[in-house]
Amino acid sequence: MRHAINIPLTRRELFAIAGSLVAGCNLASAATTKPSKAARAYFSGTGEDNGIVFRLTNWKKIDPKWRRQLVEYQSREPQGTVVVDTSNHFLYVIFENQTALRYGVGVGRDGFRWYGRARIDRKALWPRWIPPPEMRVRQPELPESMDGGPDNPLGPRAMYLFRNGKDLGYRLHGTLEPWSIGTNVSSGCIRMFSEDIIDLYQRCPIGTRVLVLKHLGAPVINEAAPVDTEPPL
Amino acid sequence: MIAQYCHAVRVPAALVALLVVVAGCATSGRQAAIVQSNQDLGSTTDTPVTASVNAEGGTEEDFIVNVGRRTFFAESSANLDDTARTTLDKQAQWLLKYPHWKVKLQGFADDPGSVTEQKQLSQKRADAVRNYLVSKGVAAERLKAKGYGRDRLVGDCTDIECTSQNRRVISNPQEAPDF
Repeated sequence: MRHAINIPLTRRELFAIAGSLVAGCNLASAATTKPSKAARAYFSGTGEDNGIVFRLTNWKKIDPKWRRQLVEYQSREPQGTVVVDTSNHFLYVIFENQTALRYGVGVGRDGFRWYGRARIDRKALWPRWIPPPEMRVRQPELPESMDGGPDNPLGPRAMYLFRNGKDLGYRLHGTLEPWSIGTNVSSGCIRMFSEDIIDLYQRCPIGTRVLVLKHLGAPVINEAAPVDTEPPL
Repeated sequence: MIAQYCHAVRVPAALVALLVVVAGCATSGRQAAIVQSNQDLGSTTDTPVTASVNAEGGTEEDFIVNVGRRTFFAESSANLDDTARTTLDKQAQWLLKYPHWKVKLQGFADDPGSVTEQKQLSQKRADAVRNYLVSKGVAAERLKAKGYGRDRLVGDCTDIECTSQNRRVISNPQEAPDF
């Protein structure tokens, strides 16, 4: 009875892969140094999660539109589906009665490299991060791999998108840069506030359907541009 | 139970239009065009409506947005895993903070087995949630656990995309329930 929930995609949509995904999410901004004063303004206090102390978001600095909120949302997707709208920097969890829980997201260039249907087949708490080799060429100070923790750029959770058992290299993850939510950034896939990715993790069992909308009007990200790890002035 | 939920979140179309204008968050022309072009992928519209940022503590909306109503289960199991316990810890904290709420715990199952077995499993799931909340200090008389078996499937298929959503308990806060 797959047809009950699967809306067929055209061939073009199914294979709309706009770039190679071999390396997965490139996150260039490992927090190897203490946050600057401008960055610290985006944090307020600390929280504890699974034994790890991490910086909480200072919501006073965040535009309310990027906060987690219940919205009216017309969708044909069944309850529990995650819909990612990279063009508008929103992620939705579909609820009943034409409502959805909406989160603000930041979109890294790898988040723009794919759209279509996928499934969450793997989830991780305080995930390990393995910088891709080409990034380590540019930034030799990066470790071969980084244990999960408060300075890991993936943040407190990661959810890994698959199709037909194949890892798409597309992830939903946290961020150390709350100011980047609502923007396009040079690194990562779909980044969310620490508090939000923790929340989303609870709502998405293994097997959760994901629909990444086609990126219309999506910007072209300059891959050669320096990685900005500081909030705007 | 659904009626109350609808009441809390459903906003009449006229009010939606008004809110959109007042709040200045009308969907731009460009955005509308984007959404329309994405219809073939299953999405239709994005209508930010509720002023639910900082939903008032202790409201049903607060529970939905900041706690979460759903607890998920593995196949043929009524055991609570770490993720389930994390969700229920938050529910228990909320219920202890806002003692005027009671909760209907509605269990569901689409797992292999007869209709009777499914109903029993869904009851076991609802009971597991109830017992856990009680172990965290929530008074038993505030909780009612009921299994609905295969009723109200989220998706009718045997794929994990359906089953992962169907095997659940919904915690439905109610201020004046009939129990």
